[in-house]
Amino acid sequence: MKISDTVVGASFVAAGALIVTGTLGYPTLDGGHPGPALFPRILGTLMVALGAGLALQGIRTRDATQAVEWRRLHRNVGVVNALFVLGGVLAYLGLVERLGFLISGTLLLFLLMWRLRVPLLRALVVAIVFNATVHFLFAKILRVPLPLGLLWW
Amino acid sequence: MIEHVGQALALLASWKVLLTIAICSVYGLFVGAIPGLTATMAAALLVPFTFFMDPLSSLVAIVTMSAMAIFAGDIPAALVRIPGTPSSAAYTDDSYELTKQGKAELVLGVDLVTSAIGGLMGAVVLMVAAPLLAEVALRFTSFEYFWLAALGLSATVMIASSVPLKAGLALLVGLFFSTIGVDITLGYPRFTFGTIELLNGVDFIPAMIGLFGVSEVLRNMGSATLSFPIAPVKAETIFRGLAQTLWRYKANMARAGLIGTFIGILPGAGADIAAWIAYAVARRFSREPEKFGKGAIEPIVDAGTANNACLAGDWVPALVFGIPGDSITAIVIGILFMKGLRPGPMVFEQQPQLVYAVYLSFIVANLLMIPFGYAAIKASGAMLRVPRNILMPAILMFCVVGAFAINNSLADVGMMLAMGVFGYFLEANGIPVAPIVLGMVLGPILEQNFMVSMIKTEWDLTQFFRRPVALVLGGLTILVWLTPLYPWLAGWGRRRARLS
Repeated sequence: MKISDTVVGASFVAAGALIVTGTLGYPTLDGGHPGPALFPRILGTLMVALGAGLALQGIRTRDATQAVEWRRLHRNVGVVNALFVLGGVLAYLGLVERLGFLISGTLLLFLLMWRLRVPLLRALVVAIVFNATVHFLFAKILRVPLPLGLLWW
Repeated sequence: MIEHVGQALALLASWKVLLTIAICSVYGLFVGAIPGLTATMAAALLVPFTFFMDPLSSLVAIVTMSAMAIFAGDIPAALVRIPGTPSSAAYTDDSYELTKQGKAELVLGVDLVTSAIGGLMGAVVLMVAAPLLAEVALRFTSFEYFWLAALGLSATVMIASSVPLKAGLALLVGLFFSTIGVDITLGYPRFTFGTIELLNGVDFIPAMIGLFGVSEVLRNMGSATLSFPIAPVKAETIFRGLAQTLWRYKANMARAGLIGTFIGILPGAGADIAAWIAYAVARRFSREPEKFGKGAIEPIVDAGTANNACLAGDWVPALVFGIPGDSITAIVIGILFMKGLRPGPMVFEQQPQLVYAVYLSFIVANLLMIPFGYAAIKASGAMLRVPRNILMPAILMFCVVGAFAINNSLADVGMMLAMGVFGYFLEANGIPVAPIVLGMVLGPILEQNFMVSMIKTEWDLTQFFRRPVALVLGGLTILVWLTPLYPWLAGWGRRRARLS
């Protein structure tokens, strides 16, 4: 997911500008001194400055990390695997209250191990055993109310 | 003092604490030895557990874990040429070259014993320096605290990073996160977008787990099916001939211990920087600098001592001023806040047993390092062969459940995921994430002390330089900003940038 310093720098410039505009309506202290707005405004301004510095550095070194790499992104194993993690946890968040931790946690583990080419049977066994252990540790010993869902244990 | 030591010993001697020490030792050794997993990640994953421990056990847990992890990072450096944690990166080449010459046992023996010696030296300095500084700190006002925070932030960017511009941006992100929520002067809600969840600010713990746990899992997913050739090692012989080698380099150890501890005390710079600087200093004063990087034992002695010495040094500003010495102590400060404890000079008066327990646990951890470390070296083959494609999903699961456990909130898990993706993206673009945590911890200290100072002096900026200590701290901060002008510092920064 490397993109060029120019783009990263420019995004920080935009973020800094957004932070500063976000503080425009903030109230002031007695005597018109800035209060809540002061610190975020300084931060926003510095972010614009450093972001611009980074962008300039990118332009000067002709950092063109590159549209080409973006087009091949779907072939980059690391990025695709990372997307599996992202999608997996999002799916977990959507399912956990309905299905409960024992089922959705096992599914998440199995999905990722399957993606990482763990042999299917081993992945299934490890997912069930490991998830049950985590459940025991957190729900039974530390008494964290993990969502129960379909299973009552 | 004796009475406090006695109290602390009694607290440490309970079976619960001893069990915590044993478990955290094994945990630290394992995480440290697995390439790609850092001591900071280990600390972030420990946080949900510390939530259920008393303050003392949680401090002991972090101390033990981090000491073991920083040593264990040396194991894969010597056996597979990949540093287990960034703190071992400085001497990875030397270690692996020696392994290729059939001297893996000597390297690991030196790694183990110098780590323990460095850790003990750091602990001694911590025990001497912290109470003295605490006496001074009692007289500090908002001006001094402002400058301390500013100094810490500046050191993070200018000294602790080889890419100051990017580290600066990361720091600003952290500082910005710290402004979210109700403001100190008027109680005005900032950047909350009308939500109630953000009124108390960004929750530190899910953010930590995301930035250090999830982002590391994401980064390692690409290499999760990798396996690497592991050099064999005979653990039984690691102590053979060790005494002579160490005696030969006794002056190096003393020097590196001091350098490491000092770098630790400097806010914002952690064990990896300590190792790099000790390495650079060792080369400068060595009789055979040409051998460095090609299989010399001398830099291993120096840097291996310094990184463990640094750990104790990191606790000095954390305990005395509430200003973290590195990202691990930043997490510690987060834990202490969570427990309703405010680190600072008052802790030394009100809860001395806690402070002494930290001292003692450093000593215990570094003594235990010899047997535990020996066992880890013996088990290194098995540890390094743990299938990463099972390990990474397992770590992710711990992140997910850990983030949930703090507030029993799925929103926290979402926050953790967002931070994880953000951290992954930043790191992929060469922007370090550690400054974000330091910004989140130091942001409120910086802002509160600045606003308090301004309001009480009716906006007279010159007051920031009127008190002698404030003047010195302010001067130091400005000196740190001028570091690009010192070429010798730039030298190791370049080498580090090249290697990482």
